Amino acid sequence: MADLIKVQNIVKDYRRMRALNDVSFEIQPGITGLLGPNGAGKSTLIKVLMGLVRVSSGTGTILGNRLGRHGRLIRSKIGYMPEDDCYIPGLKGVEAVQFSACLAGIPTTEALRRAHEILDFCGMKQERYRDIETFSTGMRQKIKFAASIVHDPELLIFDEPTAGLDPEERENLLNRIQILANDAGKSVLISTHILPDVQAICDHALILASGQVRLSESLEVLNRPTSPTLTIKLVGDAQSFIKDLQKSGLQVHQEHDFNHLRVSGDTDNLSQLVWKTAQQNGISIHALKPAKNSLEEIFISAVEESNVAHT
Amino acid sequence: MPIHKVGYRGWQGKKVPVPWRWWIISFTGIRVVLRSRWVRRLMFVCYFPVLYWGLAVFMLEQYMAYPDLQSDLIEAIQQADRFENNRDRWRRPGRNGPPQNRRMQRPGFINMLPKSQVVIDALQSPGADTRHVVWSWLLMTFFRYPQSIMLLFLVGFIAPGLISRDVRSRAFLLYFSRPIGRFEYILGKLMIPAVFIAFITCLPALVLYVFGIMLSTDWSIISMTWDIPFRVLAASFILILPTASIALMLSSLTQESRFATFAWFALWIMGHGAWLAIVLAQSISFGKPPFSQSVMDSALVENWSLISLYNNLGAVQSWVFGFDKFTDIWPSFTILCLLTLVALVILFRRVSAPIRI
Repeated sequence: MADLIKVQNIVKDYRRMRALNDVSFEIQPGITGLLGPNGAGKSTLIKVLMGLVRVSSGTGTILGNRLGRHGRLIRSKIGYMPEDDCYIPGLKGVEAVQFSACLAGIPTTEALRRAHEILDFCGMKQERYRDIETFSTGMRQKIKFAASIVHDPELLIFDEPTAGLDPEERENLLNRIQILANDAGKSVLISTHILPDVQAICDHALILASGQVRLSESLEVLNRPTSPTLTIKLVGDAQSFIKDLQKSGLQVHQEHDFNHLRVSGDTDNLSQLVWKTAQQNGISIHALKPAKNSLEEIFISAVEESNVAHT
Repeated sequence: MPIHKVGYRGWQGKKVPVPWRWWIISFTGIRVVLRSRWVRRLMFVCYFPVLYWGLAVFMLEQYMAYPDLQSDLIEAIQQADRFENNRDRWRRPGRNGPPQNRRMQRPGFINMLPKSQVVIDALQSPGADTRHVVWSWLLMTFFRYPQSIMLLFLVGFIAPGLISRDVRSRAFLLYFSRPIGRFEYILGKLMIPAVFIAFITCLPALVLYVFGIMLSTDWSIISMTWDIPFRVLAASFILILPTASIALMLSSLTQESRFATFAWFALWIMGHGAWLAIVLAQSISFGKPPFSQSVMDSALVENWSLISLYNNLGAVQSWVFGFDKFTDIWPSFTILCLLTLVALVILFRRVSAPIRI
């Protein structure tokens, strides 16, 4: 599979401060989550990828175009949604999206038609005819989202796309991103602090801390525990069941609710063993599924590694 | 297939070439500016002077067409000049000086206008060159007096918000995440005041020229005055570039457009006000009316006129219309070039600053 983004040994210095330090990674098509604490260099990395700032050293390609050489060409293929609450003053909602389309090269009349089409997709109704200054944060997020996809780019870069949205709108936006990735074949890079968003829609995670890449892996691999693990929801006396499982050499961890267990062990027939023990103890199992590693734990451990390395 | 699918659809069409994308910024900006009722009213007012200058062109044609009217017309102008002068009799006399000198006699309004003697000479001995001289002079005064002052207000309304509002609303990222650069952004923004300035200077001046040609009923006039439209274009360019650059530079320095508006008016008023104070002081020390030839020709007044942006623009326009030599106006020209250059450099730095961080 061709690399969507491939950067090697990128360094970006702002006078004395090193924002990106020897950053190398490859991103495949799909949805990638760019994670990192504040000041990790995420925004700088995005600006580097878009050719808005020049790197101090390093090379890379985006959509087959060389980084730093073909900034305009790269930007014409990218749809970017900034994190800041930004808007073009004096315009109505639909005009703002039309303006973005025109800036990307779509002829004026066609841009207006396309703006309406995209605003329909974004679920924006008659409020599109209001002045953008009167919009709430959530509505401006929608306009920014619409403006970023109006020119049908190959790669979408969203910086904190769900910030300021209510739960319903957040869900809708994540659904739209999934539609863009799965149905329209777009590649998406999402920079966010909200780990459940990444967990919900991303295929790949890139964790950046202190200007360095700490982790770049597919979520499938990241979520997979080192040994076979199951999460179980049961009804009945769990104590004897737990004791029997432990006697069989399995590790059992009781979660926040006593009826939720996390069972792991180096055995091929873990689920069979669990079912058998439950039957012996008269326990009713309501749910049993393979456990996933928590992205939050992975993120924290990656960031802590970075802090340890710095101290 | 649904009649109206609200899902995502791709777009495949032919894109506009990159070099013209700055026009999108200009076009959208002009549309937004024209939504202001005050701007529309001001632009309407800006066209009033065209009627007066049109009347002057008409009178010139009458003057040229009917030689027996020439003495009457000269007399009428002198009457008007005297009327202007006599208004001073009703003003409060000065406290200093002997009684007969208490009232400072102002020169007539014709004499107060620059290069008026050239026009009077041309009118007194009409020839093939008269139209060229008088039209050039009329257009120069049209640019210098009503339109330059109107321009001050119009640009003061339009330009201060053009970049400052983008800074406040953090719109730079929305612009520069598209395939456009700083140059296109600045060019697009510069063209907004430029179009409005051209609309109140270049366009009416060209209309006046065409009006003159049509009244003259002699097509050979075109061959004698063919250079005037080019001079009009050059004079408009000289008005547009420094004023638009400076106004946008001020706009880029702040997030509050009112501060940029204040700075814009302060720049013009303080510079010209200081120069007027010097003229007044010199006229008192000479015991001559302000704007009289001896006061205006004094080295102090001439040298300090360089602090006024308005005077510098006027001086360069006088050269463009052929009433001055370049050797006389090069300091003004240099100042305008330097101001424009500094404004553009600051503008480029200010515009690129938010995306560099």
